[in-house]
Amino acid sequence: MVLDDLGSSLRDTMDTLRGKSRLDEADVEEVVREIQRSLLSADVDVGLVMELSDSIETRALEEEPPGGTTARDHVLKIVYEEMVGLIGESTELPLQEQTILLAGLQGSGKTTSAAKMAWWFSKKGLRPAVIQTDTFRPGAYDQAKQMTEDAEVQFYGDPDADDPVQIARDGLEATSDAEVHIVDTAGRHALEDDLIAEIEEIDSVVDPDRSLLVLDAAIGQGAKDQAQRFEESIGIDGVVITKLDGTAKGGGALTAVNETGSSIAFLGTGETVQDIERFEPNGFISRLLGMGDLKQLSERV
Amino acid sequence: RAKAFATGKVIIEEEDLQEPLRDLEFALLGSDVEMTVAEEILDTVREKMLGEARAQIETTDQLVTEALHDALLEVISVGQFDFEERIAAADKPVTVVFTGVNGVGKTTTIAKLSEWLEDRGYSSVLANGDTYRAGANEQIGEHADALGRKLIAHDKGGDPAAVIYDGVEYADANDIDVVLGDTAGRLHTSNDLMAQLEKIDRVVEPDLTLFVDESVAGQDAVRRATEFNDAAEIDGVVLSKADADSSGGAAISIAYVTGKPVLFLGTGQEYDDLVQFDPEALVDELLGEE
Ligand SMILES: Nc1nc2c(ncn2[C@@H]2O[C@H](COP(=O)(O)OP(=O)(O)OP(=O)(O)O)[C@@H](O)[C@H]2O)c(=O)[nH]1
Ligand SMILES: Nc1nc2c(ncn2[C@@H]2O[C@H](COP(=O)(O)OP(=O)(O)OP(=O)(O)O)[C@@H](O)[C@H]2O)c(=O)[nH]1
Ligand SMILES: [Mg+2]
Ligand SMILES: [Mg+2]
Repeated sequence: MVLDDLGSSLRDTMDTLRGKSRLDEADVEEVVREIQRSLLSADVDVGLVMELSDSIETRALEEEPPGGTTARDHVLKIVYEEMVGLIGESTELPLQEQTILLAGLQGSGKTTSAAKMAWWFSKKGLRPAVIQTDTFRPGAYDQAKQMTEDAEVQFYGDPDADDPVQIARDGLEATSDAEVHIVDTAGRHALEDDLIAEIEEIDSVVDPDRSLLVLDAAIGQGAKDQAQRFEESIGIDGVVITKLDGTAKGGGALTAVNETGSSIAFLGTGETVQDIERFEPNGFISRLLGMGDLKQLSERV
Repeated sequence: RAKAFATGKVIIEEEDLQEPLRDLEFALLGSDVEMTVAEEILDTVREKMLGEARAQIETTDQLVTEALHDALLEVISVGQFDFEERIAAADKPVTVVFTGVNGVGKTTTIAKLSEWLEDRGYSSVLANGDTYRAGANEQIGEHADALGRKLIAHDKGGDPAAVIYDGVEYADANDIDVVLGDTAGRLHTSNDLMAQLEKIDRVVEPDLTLFVDESVAGQDAVRRATEFNDAAEIDGVVLSKADADSSGGAAISIAYVTGKPVLFLGTGQEYDDLVQFDPEALVDELLGEE
């Protein structure tokens, strides 16, 4: 996902720095341009890319590299720290009773992710239930029902009801013996005021411990406005990035994390209920920057 | 040069172009035009402008923006054809197959297009080639009921090519004008599913293959459009969810790499939220010239 290319292009640029003990402005400019290109081609928001690269540039030029560090290690450390600063830790998900509300654009992967997350919690020994409140999309009830059957978890939905808020209320009651409640919602986007008002109502009835924004890894620059609107309306505690089994880099999720002040919770990597991974920032960043254990490097420097 | 000077004109040099082109590059990237596509379009603009004379009253910025407008319009107007005329002229039944990655709006677009055709006097049958995803039959089935159309579907796990083929036979036997064949969403990285798509294309031999993508898509749009076009050659593009995002750079990227026209925009979740694509309007929006 994001940073994959950043890794390889950085490696190439960094090679030109090999053996240098000091960086001149031209070196830094070149590295920064590479970083910009990689982040932009990963769909990170243009404004955020500029902020990040300005900050990397300023630090690389102004901070004195600690004694004995090569110029290359110095820049790497700065890049690593800036990325960690942005991505932060994985969204905290204590293995205890909780209610999770899913929100996001049409087709982003909410229903699939609801079943996947339920499967994930059940593997952790908890009893999850999925509540389908989507009364709009044809077949939404059947889709969620079949997927929760695949995941072998409890399901609540009502194909004949037409009020999502009422379904949420009834569903929580009907599944009260479950430990983890995952509430799926219909797709909506930032410009649909009536649907945003609807999810605010669902939010107030469900009173979730966590609201997660489900984002397609391929979303482009629109991620910023979408994330902002969902943050304003229901408050976003974490992001689920779906369809990472494709070639999209998921930079929109970085934008969303930045915009909502949240973090990444899960990664979706396929269409079946087992295709879910918990997000692991450390190994993740080093792996994707492709430069061995950056954390160690950062601590050593 | 002397001549330009004498007529009060200035020759545009490389360094005059650097700033405005860089600004435009960021503007294009900010509108989701894919990076290499943006670069190539800007190269065309650069080549066109270099050595051109401009009157002293014009700024290089203005001229570059005008040149970009023309370059974008050229890209996005590629291969445009009148969809209704194509349907009218073709032997019936006309088979249209919809392809694209997961969740972009294929099934919904089929329902909308069925209504669009009905409004123009063409009957259609829906054939559900998505025999894979949970709830796929129920979803398209509800659309068919709501629209009063016949749906051809097999059980989950069946052969998608066979379903669409059945749709064609049904249309043949019942004098239906158009067969709208759905396919399961798939990512271009899945070799099996892309091979299955090739098979559908080979067996069904559709008259038209429409590639559906969403207007909120970013840089990846180029990659998947290319790979879908390679697996089952596309004739046109539908860009859904235009109501969620107005920048539309994905349209430029897809038209540029496939050379295939964008035909329709999806503008919402209702059946009448389908509009014929207007290249000029998109370029104006991209360049902020409402
Ligand atoms: N390859 C792949 N496909 C996925 C992934 N997550 C979801 N999908 C597919 O994406 C499509 C949309 O997923 P849904 O779960 O229906 O999305 P949604 O957000 O619930 O959609 P709406 O309810 O219509 O807004 C389906 O075809 C899913 O199978 C993933 O991680 N990888
Ligand atoms: N806002 C908006 N939503 C749309 C549009 N077109 C489709 N959708 C929604 O996007 C979601 C996915 O649409 P589908 O038609 O199921 O997409 P698909 O490509 O068939 O999905 P898979 O079969 O799972 O790959 C649904 O919630 C649709 O209502 C559109 O033009 N605007
Ligand atoms: Mg759903
Ligand atoms: Mg579909």
